[in-house]
Amino acid sequence: MEKQMEDEMGKQMEEKRKIGIFTTLLSVVIAFAIVLVLFYGLNHLIMGMQGLPLNMDLTPAG
Amino acid sequence: MKILFKTLSFSIGLTLVFSLLTYLLPQIKGEAPVEKQVDLGSLTMDDFVALGEDLFSNKGTCTLCHKPPPLGRAPDIQGEDMVALSIERLADERYRGEAKDAAGYILESMLDPSKYVVATWGKKGSNDSESPMPVIDKAPIELSSMEMDAITAYLQAKDGNEVTVALPTAEAAAEVAAAPAGGSAAAPAPAATADEAMAKYACLTCHAMDSKDTLVGPGLVDVGERLTPEEIRESILDPNAVLVEGFPPAMPADFGTKMTVNELQMIVNFLAEKKG
Amino acid sequence: MHGNLARMFTMSLLLTLLFLGITAPVQAADPGVGDIADRIAPVGRVQLTGQPPLEVESEAAAQEAEAAEPMAAPRPARSDYPDIGVSSRAIVWVLAQLHLFFGALVLAVPLFVLIIELVGLFTGDERYDDMAHEFMKISLTGFSITAIFGGSLALALFMLYPDFMAYMMRVFGAQWLVYAGLFFFESFFLYTYYYGWNAFRYGNLKWVHLSLGLMLNASGLTIMVLANSWATFMMAPSGVNEVGAVVGNIWEVMKGPLWNPINLHRFIANIAFGGAVVGAYAAFKFLSSSDPEKRAHYDWMGYTSNFIAILAFLPLPFAGYWLMAEIYAYSQQMGITAMGGILAWLFILQAVLIGTILLAGNFYLWAGMSRTDGSERYKWLVKFIALILVVTFLIWITPHTLMLSASEIAQLGGTHHSILGPLGIMPAKNIAVNLMLIVTFLSFQLYRRSDKVATVRWAPVGNALMVAIYVVAIANIIFLGVYYGYFTNTVYKVGSSVAQVASTLVVIISGIIIDALMFKNAKTLPSHWGRIPDRAQYALFALPIAFTWLMGLMGYVRSSVKTHWHVYTVMKDNSPDNFIPTIAYAGNMITLVTVLFLLCLLFMFWVANLSETRQVKPVAAGESA
Repeated sequence: MEKQMEDEMGKQMEEKRKIGIFTTLLSVVIAFAIVLVLFYGLNHLIMGMQGLPLNMDLTPAG
Repeated sequence: MKILFKTLSFSIGLTLVFSLLTYLLPQIKGEAPVEKQVDLGSLTMDDFVALGEDLFSNKGTCTLCHKPPPLGRAPDIQGEDMVALSIERLADERYRGEAKDAAGYILESMLDPSKYVVATWGKKGSNDSESPMPVIDKAPIELSSMEMDAITAYLQAKDGNEVTVALPTAEAAAEVAAAPAGGSAAAPAPAATADEAMAKYACLTCHAMDSKDTLVGPGLVDVGERLTPEEIRESILDPNAVLVEGFPPAMPADFGTKMTVNELQMIVNFLAEKKG
Repeated sequence: MHGNLARMFTMSLLLTLLFLGITAPVQAADPGVGDIADRIAPVGRVQLTGQPPLEVESEAAAQEAEAAEPMAAPRPARSDYPDIGVSSRAIVWVLAQLHLFFGALVLAVPLFVLIIELVGLFTGDERYDDMAHEFMKISLTGFSITAIFGGSLALALFMLYPDFMAYMMRVFGAQWLVYAGLFFFESFFLYTYYYGWNAFRYGNLKWVHLSLGLMLNASGLTIMVLANSWATFMMAPSGVNEVGAVVGNIWEVMKGPLWNPINLHRFIANIAFGGAVVGAYAAFKFLSSSDPEKRAHYDWMGYTSNFIAILAFLPLPFAGYWLMAEIYAYSQQMGITAMGGILAWLFILQAVLIGTILLAGNFYLWAGMSRTDGSERYKWLVKFIALILVVTFLIWITPHTLMLSASEIAQLGGTHHSILGPLGIMPAKNIAVNLMLIVTFLSFQLYRRSDKVATVRWAPVGNALMVAIYVVAIANIIFLGVYYGYFTNTVYKVGSSVAQVASTLVVIISGIIIDALMFKNAKTLPSHWGRIPDRAQYALFALPIAFTWLMGLMGYVRSSVKTHWHVYTVMKDNSPDNFIPTIAYAGNMITLVTVLFLLCLLFMFWVANLSETRQVKPVAAGESA
């Protein structure tokens, strides 16, 4: 009985840790995605402000 | 005391390291432009061309920007045949100046660089309609017309083209002597506008500017129609060379030594605009 | 406008009259008259028959001279410059630089003293208040030293460059009086602020005291921006026409294109410089004391000074970038003289100095991590930061130009060289500089975090975001530099450096914001002030030395871009010193002023400590009984 409970708790802990790793990974990936988009936009914005437009793939336009 | 000695020697040692570094770099002095004495009696065309080359890389500061690619910030004049290029550019529909030949084009590009802007070298955002180049006869470069002629001669000669610029005359030398660059404390302040210049030399005493009436000399309201800018310049510098019929040779002949190059140019420009 | 027209009209009238006065008699009479007129002129009262009295003429000439004088800038000949046997420029150079060093110091100290005082007020921690007071105490003599060098500088300028100073006086006119008047205000607020410290310490009186500090800063800053306008007028004159005649009002004269960039740049640099200098004081006191309590105090003071210096230093390159961009916009020729002409070599020295500052600042932060137990978590990162710093530093100071052969150097001979195209190597350097700034900020951020544990629930997300910002920003900076720097045209190359700078700024700003939110109510781990190796203190000496030398160097560059002009395009410099000296000469001058500054500084600190010492009363033999 006790052993079963322990197993159960261990499983739950394991699951929690899995979820923990998962959420951490997810938050890292999302963070990177957001930051990448942000800097991509920043490059367009700053270059555009100087009259130097860029194409979608960041090559000089025009 | 020991701490003071240690920290002080550390600090002074570091300063010495920095000043030592300055000895590792090339030691170049930037001399201020020296006014060259030109002996007109013995000046040959070769000397004139050499003077032009010297001006190009020193006083004229042309080489600051006109460098071979990729370092340059302006077309590589020294690496190209400017005479051939000038003739191409004169035929270009983007050309907005009045020059008729290569020498005229080169001179014009120094006095009014925006008359023709080489593609891709215009001011940012001006779509090659405006040149970033400073006007060469204005401060801070302030070349005299003789010096600009020398540069034109150099640019013609360096690629084996015929030099069409005339050697400087005595008047031109006088202009240079009277130019502000001479830096004499006694010289009167140069005028800043054509009006000021004409007041300074009292042109209005003898010439009416707003009518054809004769005061002492002829009225100048339509002088721009009667004479070209070159003729106006000549009649100021050497008034007795061509006299308007019926007028005595009363105009002072020493304006060439009194007027600065700028003043003369301003007056000529002003008069050339007077077309009745 | 009407005034100018009227003045111009009067001028023309006077000149015409004068010309008539001179020419009419000469033209009308036979050639001999000129000589007679000359001979009798000194007598003055003799009048030729049929001629106007000669006196009229001389009166008109006097009037003309008076009226003509305010017009154009003077054009002194070489003989008009007094020769005292020593290079006039060297004298003015030393005095001006020492005046500027102390001026920068005494402008900066009250500024961060006021901020520290405010921090003390809001945290209720009296240690801040005492430290602010101590900063004030040690720089107090600096105000007099600034004034002494300022006075000597003015005297030297009037003696050695009389025509130039006469012109500047004419252009700025009454502004000089305002400038002089402000010193009364500054002195008043300085002494009431310093001596009133303990008298107005608590309650409402504290606010009176803070207001005094604010006014002290206001008058100091006004003095600085007024003085800046002279320097910027000399570089990019405004409010005058092309021969230097004043055509605008004083505001138009002051508000030249470079005024505000210089104001901002000097303001920020002063703070960094002031912080570095008082840091050296703290380091010296730390090293020379063995009392743990004192060591803890001076360690904390040194840390605060370093914090101020580095924090103010980080945005400085951006202010410098703005200044340089404005110089290029004002005159491309001037910009190229600075960055592509002879002076370009000095930017290699600038790189070495800035590298020294960043390395010293970083080293101090890493050494300071030993104060907290929580720093163990971040120590592994230090070696990577150090590696990036060293590599980028090497990239930065290794220009293509040092790889020249001797014959190539000989070829440079003239005033210009075609090999050092700073643009050609700029992309690599831009990457290096931005990475250096980013990892310095990382050091700083790690240090700030080392004694805290975040308790907010979203801390992992915050950390993930922070890591992502660092990684992406670094990648972006390298991408921008490499791609636009080497594979597109010049315009995009220059434009991409702005985007690089923006990326760096994003890291710094987001780092400050994220940390401020994440560690708002964080658990604080104990800090042990004073637990820092002695060698770390030497970083606090390297910092002000490098700052002082850097200020001397960049001030020299700023002044030299005018080349042979007192006032660019308006008043030529015809003095014997109108050339740009060799780099070694400039280096010697800068070292000289740095050492002189160091000695004056020692004196200033020594005087500050005098007030703490009290001589023991000598016991007379007779009294002992």
